Amino acid sequence: MSAADASAARPAQEGARVPSGRPLTPSLSRKGRGRLRAGPWLLATPAIVLLVLFLGAPYVDMVVMSLRTAGHGTPYGTGFTLHHYAEALGNPVYLGALGRSLMLGAIVTAGCLLLSYPIALHLAKAGRSHLFFYAIVISPLLVGVLVRNFGWLIILSVSGPLNQVLRGLGLIDMPLRLLFTQGAVALGLIHVFVPFMVLPIAGALRKIPPDLAEASDALGAGRWFGFWHVTLPLSFPGIQAGTILVFVLSVSAYVTPALLGGQGRTFLSILTVQELLGSFAWPLGATLALVMAAAMGLVVLGFLAATRRLAERTAR
Amino acid sequence: MTVPLRLGAGFVLALIYGFILLPLVVVIASSLTAGELMQFPPQGLSLRWFARFFADEALMQALVLSLRVAAVTTVAVTVIGTMAALAHRALSGWARQWLRTGLLLPLLLPELLTSIGLLFFLYRIGLGKTLIGLQIAHAVVTLPFAFVSIAAALDQLDPALEDASNSLGASGWDTFRHIVLPLVRGGIVTGALFAFVTSFDMFTVSFLLKPIGGNTLPLALFDYLSYDYDPTAAAAAAVSVVLAIAGVVVIEKLVGLRNL
Amino acid sequence: MTEVRIAGLRKSFGGQPALVDVALEAAPGEMITLLGPSGCGKTTTLRCVAGFLAPDGGDILVDGRSILDVPLRRRDFGVVFQNYALFPHMTVTQNVAYGLRVRRIGAAEIASRVAASLAEVGLTGLGDRLPRTLSGGQQQRVALARALVIHPRLLLLDEPLANLDAQLRQEMRALIRAVQRRQGITAFYVTHDQAEAMASSDRVAVMERGRVAQFATPREIYQRPVSRYVAAFTGEASALAVTLRAAHAPDRYTVGLGDAQMEVPGAAGLSPGSRHFLMVRPQAVTFGPSGIPATVREVAFFGATQQGEVELAGQALRFVTDPNERVVAGETVHVTLDPAHAWLMPEAAA
Ligand SMILES: Nc1ncnc2c1ncn2[C@@H]1O[C@H](COP(=O)(O)OP(=O)(O)OP(=O)(O)O)[C@@H](O)[C@H]1O
Ligand SMILES: [Mg+2]
Repeated sequence: MSAADASAARPAQEGARVPSGRPLTPSLSRKGRGRLRAGPWLLATPAIVLLVLFLGAPYVDMVVMSLRTAGHGTPYGTGFTLHHYAEALGNPVYLGALGRSLMLGAIVTAGCLLLSYPIALHLAKAGRSHLFFYAIVISPLLVGVLVRNFGWLIILSVSGPLNQVLRGLGLIDMPLRLLFTQGAVALGLIHVFVPFMVLPIAGALRKIPPDLAEASDALGAGRWFGFWHVTLPLSFPGIQAGTILVFVLSVSAYVTPALLGGQGRTFLSILTVQELLGSFAWPLGATLALVMAAAMGLVVLGFLAATRRLAERTAR
Repeated sequence: MTVPLRLGAGFVLALIYGFILLPLVVVIASSLTAGELMQFPPQGLSLRWFARFFADEALMQALVLSLRVAAVTTVAVTVIGTMAALAHRALSGWARQWLRTGLLLPLLLPELLTSIGLLFFLYRIGLGKTLIGLQIAHAVVTLPFAFVSIAAALDQLDPALEDASNSLGASGWDTFRHIVLPLVRGGIVTGALFAFVTSFDMFTVSFLLKPIGGNTLPLALFDYLSYDYDPTAAAAAAVSVVLAIAGVVVIEKLVGLRNL
Repeated sequence: MTEVRIAGLRKSFGGQPALVDVALEAAPGEMITLLGPSGCGKTTTLRCVAGFLAPDGGDILVDGRSILDVPLRRRDFGVVFQNYALFPHMTVTQNVAYGLRVRRIGAAEIASRVAASLAEVGLTGLGDRLPRTLSGGQQQRVALARALVIHPRLLLLDEPLANLDAQLRQEMRALIRAVQRRQGITAFYVTHDQAEAMASSDRVAVMERGRVAQFATPREIYQRPVSRYVAAFTGEASALAVTLRAAHAPDRYTVGLGDAQMEVPGAAGLSPGSRHFLMVRPQAVTFGPSGIPATVREVAFFGATQQGEVELAGQALRFVTDPNERVVAGETVHVTLDPAHAWLMPEAAA
């Protein structure tokens, strides 16, 4: 029985109350709907234009540039060649720098993870007093990389506080040359990127329902067992995000290696900028940048593949 | 947890938090020295290096340029980011996902690579080594900061409030002005602040796209460190630390840090 | 005073139909309740009327004119939301004044209308409070005042009482009904609480999977349901399989239940000889010295009543009796059914 029949079956005295309107034709104009749909895209247009023009096009341009011939007196020539790829992948200077950059990325990522996890655990426990600690973690983000490196420049200098402390403790007789080493670069980068690791992990930890830990406790699992088998795996999405972010950022970092690193065996980012700004060899510079991007991409893909099962099981 | 374990954990945490703060503390302390040398701990306390900093013409020009670039960037990016965030809120499904990913891209792509691409591209369209080119680059890189923060604030907004406003007869603009804007103001301010500070501190982009005859403060500082090694640089750095602390305080007052 | 007709309303979400063919109408000043289980399309119907959703097909006529082309903000409908949707950054007064402010009405008139509206819902004196400092009931009163102050042509309420406790619910239900009657506003009210629907509406539309299963007065819906679905949704009911022996009037029948025969009302035009269902409300059941023998399966004491189930001719039958009547599980009783609380319907409607 349809609704129309049902209402027709109503007692007559009620039916009389409804004046019969004009015939009901199931028609629907859609004028109102088109306007609603166009709105969002109109609002997004400035952002899309900005990004397509000044992010998309430059990356395309970088690929094109890497295929250009070298210029004479100009940054690039008019012909096209694959020569720069042969150079970038064949020259031990560049390959060595790439290797060092990737190694640096791995060390910095591991260091960040080690320092960040306790902090993330601490922050995830929430509570009003933790605001202060959030501020500590976030404040370096608001201070330029340059300024933070500058602090390490003072701390690690020959007459700096670290050498003074070490000497005061009688651990060394002569001041150590700490600055302008690969260790200094790693230390500086770890410091720069700790917040990038802490925030995603703390976010993931906060999403873990507290009753899971309680369930683990209630089942008689010890703290460490519960941590290893419940908390740590469930925070993996955060670890994964932080790891990828820090790795990519540290391999491609420029300022810190430039300020805290030595002159000699250097990193690919430094060599790339030298080619671009020092030698005006733009095609080679573009090629080196792309090789770096490809290498990072491969490592990240490898990492994703290796951790796929864990990530799938712990997502959300 | 047993007491020794708790103490141990507290000690480790204190060490790590100390590590995070150490360089900032050292820079600020060094800038306050009364001595001639950049050193920690400082020898006596004075503000003389701040005076020197504010008297240094090159550094002052750089400071003004940095503030100007950051201010223009902030205004542009806040407006564009707010519009994009509103679009993001109105969309659904794959369109929403794509818009979000696209807007986050400048944050996910390494700054060095983006700068290199822009170096080529801006040169080819005739904006190489110009202030406007640098300005555009800053806007591209800081857009995600504004967008993320504003989009997050919009996510917190109950859609029923907009429905209610519209059903009460308000136009789209009225609803935006009286309901949406006041309720996401915190997110917008946070986004603007992040954009400002990021632009103010940006090094790699400015380094590769440096306009002719124009140094931003980080670039000037970098140059300064290459030949002069006196506490003026520390004073300059301290100024940006103070700026950052002010930023944190403002954000906390307005929205609370945990909502980031 | 507004009259509304809804015809053939359809709406799908990503291919999933939410409204299949909804037809409803409201006479001026009538309170129509949409009743139905979760997901049956009540909110979707209401949101189409309000203008938050554009239907895929069908039409909504208000005073004889289609409103589908009228933008949401020009419809002048008052909407009350389940979660109140009060603007958190505005005081009570500002919330209520909002709809008047966007209409560019003068300050003096706004002040007097807001005051009158707040008085109507019993909130005088709370004007300067922020919504979060109010109780749930108070917040819902603000939401009601805010919807009413614009003198809406139509009042739309989506489960306005769902977040309130039982006591407050009753109070607010009475308030809404009183205000609606006093101002003569036509209203659509969504709920899945059948008591709420029965007590405070002129007509009820019971919805079932995107359709209106029955649209009639509460009394008719309760006493003459068109299907077991409607019967079950409007209160407790048992369905007994019976044999239709004879028809007396178009809607009076003699049915056989086991060895017994009885005369009952039922849907018009049922043909004798086939099997039908007799819908029996628990209060139709009385126990006495004579009647159809049945076995008491269970009985529970509820204070004001005593309720349970007997087995009669192999079928389950719910009953309600005076709490002091002696009914013991396992014993045999003799059941009499009051035809006023029974209704015969064809098996197809089951
Ligand atoms: N925006 C939407 N997108 C997709 N599906 C929707 C949307 N809104 C409603 N639906 C679906 O339409 C159907 C009807 O939903 P509706 O909200 O109208 O139900 P309801 O009767 O109000 O239920 P409840 O009592 O739970 O509020 C449901 O199956 C629901 O999942
Ligand atoms: Mg609903």
